[in-house]
Amino acid sequence: MSSQARGRRAFRFILPALLCMLFVHVIPIFWGAYIAFIDLDIYTITRWMQAPFVGLRNFFTVFSPATDVGVRYLRSIWNVVYFGLVTIPAGYLIGLLVALLLNRKFFGRTLVRGLILLPYITPDSVAYNVWRFIFQARIGIVNKYLLALGLIKEPIIWLVGDRAIYAVMIASVWKGWPFACLVLLAGLQSIPQELYEAAKIDGASSFGLFRFVTFPMLRPVSATLLLLSAIWNFHAFNQFYILLGADPGKAHVPSTFILQEAFTNFHFGQGAAMSVFLTVVVLLMTVVILRVRRRGEEW
Amino acid sequence: MRRSWVLVMVFLWVTLTSVTAMGKGAITFWLMPNAPDETHIPWLEEKAREFETQTGYKVNFEVIGWGEAWQKISVALASQTGPDVFQVGTTWNPQFAATGGLEKLDLAEFGSAEAFMKANYVSTTYKGESYGVPWFAETRCLFYNKDMFAKAGVQPPATYDELKAVGKKIVETFGEGSAIAIAGTNAWDLLHNWAIVLWAYGGDLLTPDNKQAAFNGEAGITAMKWYASLILDGLAAKACAEYNQPQADAAFINGNVAMCFMGPWNIAGIEQENPDLPYDVVEPPAGPVKRASFSGGSNLVILKGSPNKDAAKEWIKFLLTKENLVDYTKNLSHMLPAKIEAFEDPYYDTGVWQVFKKTLGYATAYPPLAVWGDIENAVVREFRNILTAVASGQYSEDTVKLYLDQAAEKVNEALARER
Repeated sequence: MSSQARGRRAFRFILPALLCMLFVHVIPIFWGAYIAFIDLDIYTITRWMQAPFVGLRNFFTVFSPATDVGVRYLRSIWNVVYFGLVTIPAGYLIGLLVALLLNRKFFGRTLVRGLILLPYITPDSVAYNVWRFIFQARIGIVNKYLLALGLIKEPIIWLVGDRAIYAVMIASVWKGWPFACLVLLAGLQSIPQELYEAAKIDGASSFGLFRFVTFPMLRPVSATLLLLSAIWNFHAFNQFYILLGADPGKAHVPSTFILQEAFTNFHFGQGAAMSVFLTVVVLLMTVVILRVRRRGEEW
Repeated sequence: MRRSWVLVMVFLWVTLTSVTAMGKGAITFWLMPNAPDETHIPWLEEKAREFETQTGYKVNFEVIGWGEAWQKISVALASQTGPDVFQVGTTWNPQFAATGGLEKLDLAEFGSAEAFMKANYVSTTYKGESYGVPWFAETRCLFYNKDMFAKAGVQPPATYDELKAVGKKIVETFGEGSAIAIAGTNAWDLLHNWAIVLWAYGGDLLTPDNKQAAFNGEAGITAMKWYASLILDGLAAKACAEYNQPQADAAFINGNVAMCFMGPWNIAGIEQENPDLPYDVVEPPAGPVKRASFSGGSNLVILKGSPNKDAAKEWIKFLLTKENLVDYTKNLSHMLPAKIEAFEDPYYDTGVWQVFKKTLGYATAYPPLAVWGDIENAVVREFRNILTAVASGQYSEDTVKLYLDQAAEKVNEALARER
């Protein structure tokens, strides 16, 4: 069989999968992007083929500080950025500390390594529902402890208003750090022992070992981990939706806000515009991550 | 060589036929869990069999949770496939009608417009035409704990001022937060709780022509201050500020608080959770202007793209026969029938049901507008901000006006989009 014939044959075998991809991924993505440019709302949803083309109007609306939806979308973007700026470094730090501990030899290490993964492997719906109880004002144990310790005089409302985002941050860090730990631990174990031996011969202290061997050697892993976390952060949905409900109010993040605007309030055009922006941001971050990876190979 | 093409064709054939396989002579009916599955499903199965024997049409029903219903119906409306007949909440009906995805109905086919409770009939309309048939109705009344009232030496309140006076006595006896449980920021139906106070104080949500927000006037501010004062004065627990409706209900049903605005569906909950609860139900208190209540419930609608509209109409008529409607509302959903003739059943003149029946008589529906969802969201959002301010101690004299004005601005923005 000539190589051309082999290629044609292979193509026929992957054709069904390609068609599936086309219908399930490619077409909906482009269709979704197209919706961002038409006026698809409650009045046009059943006649969507005739929804008028409005150019960039949906984008202007959702980014305009003069409209209600604009104000709330911009706040949701700020919220998710703020959320990431707190949870990603916090998860990274905790993960790194625990990974350093777990990289030492001690009795029961395998068991502990398994146990620390518990938060990570618990399904989001279960874990965040438990956190929802933990933060309840009247029956939650957070308030119970704070009251018992005398730190507060009366129950604090955690899940509503300005404090809500902090409650979500705490729950998310708890849920997310084991993954950072796992990745960093793998990174630690790939560092050649000779480097440590050489550094020790040169008289490095244990902080010196970390500062000049461990940390630099972890850079490619850390960069990938942080960028991946940043991308996932933009998709943050489960923790907000479960802890704060379908309408997190001031603590909306883009995913929850888009869901509400598009599918509850029937502003599909604006919802699509918001999604397109989010997709572009994530794509740009992906480009960065690919660049970093390539550089990582050179290190 | 050939074989690989055959594989591709077989694959496509299997996928396409599974998509297009659809039966005729059968209708699909979507409804919400209006009763516990153990009783609901057997009832529906039995009625579907009965209907099939009578008319020859098969009914495939699917019970969909309230949480996912909106989403699923939106998809059905956009794609014009899925159910032939489905249940919608009364406040949803005009919005779905505005999408153009619902079949216009002549209520004369189902009796007449006058055959239904007025507010429920209004909820089926959009621009003066009907797009649904009222099925069952509900309204909220004041539930109170008879033991707690007796121990505090008070009578059920007849006005909103009295409610506060009674509440203070109860708090003196049973401690702070024990007088009433109210819905807070997590309640999706938060607006219903305030609307009845607003109406009783002579206010309204919108101007009579439905063109402008009207709730931020004098009556609205007084009514909202009254609601906030329940927490500020310690009649309701501060934790109420973040309650959803079931949490407020639970506080009453467990016997921890003396009053709660609840609906007929809660009676089943009481019978299940705390059958010994000594409770009774009275009409919502009166405000300075009138007594008011909110009319909710569900309507039955037909998808415009349904290929079996005649069968769909027959099924609606079948569900609305006096016998089936009374059976369904009395024994299953514990709601009230939306068709007036069903109230002839003596059951509705007994116990708490006569209170609900009377209250439903003057219950009000929200204006049937396409942008109602945006309006309700805007008001509820600022309502939540007010409750959050109350809970966090940032509430001041100007809080209510500030947020209601903000809400009015957004409501007017939404009303400008109404076509």
